[in-house]
Amino acid sequence: MKLRVNLLLTALLFLMLQACEPAPKDILIGHDECAYCRMIISDKPFGSQIVSTTGKTWFFDSVECLAAYELDHRIEQERIHSRWVPDFENPDNWVNAWHARFLYSEELRSPMGLNLSAYQSETDAERNREAYGGELKAWRGVLELVNEAWLDGNGTLPETN
Amino acid sequence: MEFAMKNLSRRIFILLFLLLFAGSSLLAAPSASPSAEREIRVSGNIAKAVENARPGDVLRIVAGLYEETEITIKTSRISLLADPGAIIDGGGKGHIFIINADSVTIDGFKLRNTGLSHVRDWAAIRVESAVFAEIRNNELENNMFGIYLSRTKDSLIENNRISGGGDRESNSGNGIHLFDTERIQVRGNIIQHHRDGIYLEFAKEVRITDNKATDNRRYGLHYMFSKDSEYSRNEFRRNNAGVAVMYSQNVDMSGNIFADNLGPASYGILLKDIDNSLIGNNHFLNNTIGIYSEGSNNVRVEHNRFERNGWAVKIWANSTRNVFTGNAFTDNTFDVATNSSRHYNTFERNYWSAYDGYDLEGDGIGDVPHRPVRLYSIIVERNPIALILHRSLFIDFLDLAERVMPALTPQTLVDDYPLMKSPLP
Repeated sequence: MKLRVNLLLTALLFLMLQACEPAPKDILIGHDECAYCRMIISDKPFGSQIVSTTGKTWFFDSVECLAAYELDHRIEQERIHSRWVPDFENPDNWVNAWHARFLYSEELRSPMGLNLSAYQSETDAERNREAYGGELKAWRGVLELVNEAWLDGNGTLPETN
Repeated sequence: MEFAMKNLSRRIFILLFLLLFAGSSLLAAPSASPSAEREIRVSGNIAKAVENARPGDVLRIVAGLYEETEITIKTSRISLLADPGAIIDGGGKGHIFIINADSVTIDGFKLRNTGLSHVRDWAAIRVESAVFAEIRNNELENNMFGIYLSRTKDSLIENNRISGGGDRESNSGNGIHLFDTERIQVRGNIIQHHRDGIYLEFAKEVRITDNKATDNRRYGLHYMFSKDSEYSRNEFRRNNAGVAVMYSQNVDMSGNIFADNLGPASYGILLKDIDNSLIGNNHFLNNTIGIYSEGSNNVRVEHNRFERNGWAVKIWANSTRNVFTGNAFTDNTFDVATNSSRHYNTFERNYWSAYDGYDLEGDGIGDVPHRPVRLYSIIVERNPIALILHRSLFIDFLDLAERVMPALTPQTLVDDYPLMKSPLP
């Protein structure tokens, strides 16, 4: 009996913790504004977000705006829970930026002109690189690219996490 | 003053250029005439006719419905003139015209149904790496992009009527899209129901005049990373988010109408990182926010009418050295709002309908300075929900108390010479 109650309590606690885990939210395409550049977000395959430890979200119209927001100290590192980018092949899928592959290709134009698309699977990324040309990058490479292109190298690169 | 000088020198330059041009064309005229111009009537396959055309040919497309896609023009100096009633239907399969040659004219067509693509930007008329393209008098309907110029110079887009498709939010493209272009004239077009009416990215010396952009899903006009350009005498109405001018320098925005751009993130003009520009003689009527300025410096805002907007001007503290003068602020809920008590912009000799000072000297200038930032607007900025107190007696008291003894509103944001009468007709 006691064991059962304990189990039940543990399960409940687990569920509550699950509910508390900060998660990405849906972006309202055509209505939500980019927190970095203020543009209305209208391209679903590029719309990205930062989720804070308290579950607050900041939306961005592109991967590059998310990177710049962080590099430009608009948010303290300890407040960031996670960064989410859409899988270019299936934009309903959110991919953690640190686990995503990025294609930097002139042929796949992104809303802010740095032309970065994100992929969950390495194969998709590689296939699009073959089809459109360009260069594959990891999140750190994206941060370095945006830092050079937009912030004259003055941004702060975060520690890997 | 700087602008006047610049305009003058630019005009002299253009005059000289024209003289030179007229001279050289006179010299060149006799040798140019022998290459006989043919006028060819086309009623069958347009792509085939284009393929067989020689430089200098005029193709006249007779009335009828043509079902073709990707009509690629690679021969320079050809003109495609459509008779009334000539329609090309793309059938949802891609670009309709692709122009890849110099001095090509597309005139009088009705072009429809490019279809939508997830990765490709399909356009009714796509111009790629060309000069002297002329796109006139066309009617574009239900296309992903209307007219798309890429790496193109010295071209004209005139008197086209461009209307996007139904309600497909995310995949629709822009009415007129200019990417990496120089010296393009965009005039007298009507653009509706696209994502952005007119979109510029990496554009230089572009002139956008006398166009009408209404009911577009995002911005009526959208500038990105562009410089030395002008947009004037255009009308922007009921666009979902108004007009956005971003990351650009030396933009002349004059004589436009910005009206009925209403919504939580909707602006007459959204200025983001704009330097050395002019906003003159425009009319901002019934917008959520007339001008929103973030990170913009050295912009002159003069002789504009701000009428019945939620906020006439929202200016963030990271905008500096901007000058507001000779404007008329009439019946706006808030004339000026800001996010900081420090301020490095000038407000001088404007007319404020909310001004309640007096003019004992009778020189037309109020004797008491006017502070256009209401305490209430600062409260609303911090707690948007406080808007429900609008028009309450409590708020009137607060504003009055603040005016008598300013504590929270910016000390330096003050018009020392408020006009008693509107300077504008």
